[in-house]
Amino acid sequence: MKLHRVTAVIVRHCYEARRNVDRFMDMVYWPVLDIILWGFFTIYLRQGNHLRPDLISFLLGAVILWGIFFAFQRDMTVGFLDELWARNMINLFSSPLGVWEYITGLICVNLVKVAVGFACASAIAVVAYKFNIMPLLGAFLPFMLNLILFAFAIGIIMSGLIVRYTTRIQTLAWSFAGPLQPVSCVFYPIKSLPSILRAVAWMLPTTHAFEGMRQILAGGGFSRVHFWWGIGLNASYFAAAILFFNWIFASARNKGLLVKLE
Amino acid sequence: MLVEVNNLTKRFGSFTAVDGVSFGIEPGEIIGMLGPNGAGKTTTIHMILGLITPSAGEVRIFGHDIQTHREEILQAINFTSPYVAFPYRLTVLENLLVFARLYNVPRRREKIDELLEMFGIADLRDKPVVRLSSGENTRVGLAKAMLNDPRLLLLDEPTAYLDPEIAWQVKELMMRVQRENGTTILYTSHNMAEVEQMCSRIVFLNHGRVIAQGTPIEITHAILKEERDEPALEEVFLRVVRERISA
Repeated sequence: MKLHRVTAVIVRHCYEARRNVDRFMDMVYWPVLDIILWGFFTIYLRQGNHLRPDLISFLLGAVILWGIFFAFQRDMTVGFLDELWARNMINLFSSPLGVWEYITGLICVNLVKVAVGFACASAIAVVAYKFNIMPLLGAFLPFMLNLILFAFAIGIIMSGLIVRYTTRIQTLAWSFAGPLQPVSCVFYPIKSLPSILRAVAWMLPTTHAFEGMRQILAGGGFSRVHFWWGIGLNASYFAAAILFFNWIFASARNKGLLVKLE
Repeated sequence: MLVEVNNLTKRFGSFTAVDGVSFGIEPGEIIGMLGPNGAGKTTTIHMILGLITPSAGEVRIFGHDIQTHREEILQAINFTSPYVAFPYRLTVLENLLVFARLYNVPRRREKIDELLEMFGIADLRDKPVVRLSSGENTRVGLAKAMLNDPRLLLLDEPTAYLDPEIAWQVKELMMRVQRENGTTILYTSHNMAEVEQMCSRIVFLNHGRVIAQGTPIEITHAILKEERDEPALEEVFLRVVRERISA
């Protein structure tokens, strides 16, 4: 892996972000819109008297963290789609650039994009709704790490599917995370799910991240169990994603799909 | 030999796109690859670049197999075709800067300015690629292909979208690059006059197979099966295409 090639990928996507309104909207607009919408909802909830005091924090914290997960897995896939839409794949892969150098560059760019979105959403939460996630950040970071690792794994799998099935399945970039949201227990504890779905939920690192976050907000402290379960699951999903991507990329080369991607 | 293509075969299911193709390229040579549409030229080039895995056979460049030495080989070669494109929102300069980084080109901006001058597109430097004509795009592709001063240049129909004047300029430039830098060039084109002028040898493909290879005059004799004083590649091409249609 060569740093100058990873940097080339980063520079390429920075230029894209600067010139493409869609990428700017993805980075800032949706996280900000989400926090504004849910923020107003929490104002409405505050008017009731029967609420647990930590519910507002649960909701806003969940909106911000889910935003990180959703944006990361989407942007990994959209990065690949940008090359397809631009018909640039042959240019890239007839250069010495390796596919894992490309993915590493994409990960670096997406970390910055997510950080920008997170900063904007967090600032609005402080100013408009008096919810400050920053004091909790230290305790939240391990769970955010798990969310990002799972988003990597999903982004890698989605990118592999894009290499194989091209733009025919591009909608997955925006829709794949949708079905994961209800079973990841983003806004409610896992005991709210029917028992049959709980087994599925426990297999998702996202569920452990949100359960862990709720425990912190409820004053229960940092949950090592949820953190390590998340890490363990992520290690498995990450290994599976890498194996899957290597297999599908080799298969695409063999079937000549890499040159037909445009 | 700088490039050795040995018994290269590519099957897609029951269809054989390239069937036992073998040829070699000497250092500093300009070799033409001709054939009708669907003859297997582009698939062969894609296998040389490692973009498609061969079903059988091998490609050796600088003495190494492209499958096992991909990175070091691709660092020293380059490719362009008017059928591939660049990220269209980025300017010409931004695109070339990205590729200059990929090839680790020293003094990137100077090199890019030099190439933009060379291809007569210096005024397009800050223009987004989406606003270029297809001819301008082709010249940006050629500038990209020269960024790393390649030892081997693969040009897939580089003059397809160019008007005759610019096509002539590009042909002259490529011949100059070959003379001055000793660059080896593999060239495909449907412009037979251009190929006759540029290429010392030709590999003629049809239905994925090499049907003749040699100098333009040797190809003319081999396919037309008659003595000629001058190469007649246009006639050769038409003969092959007509036989293909009547078959």
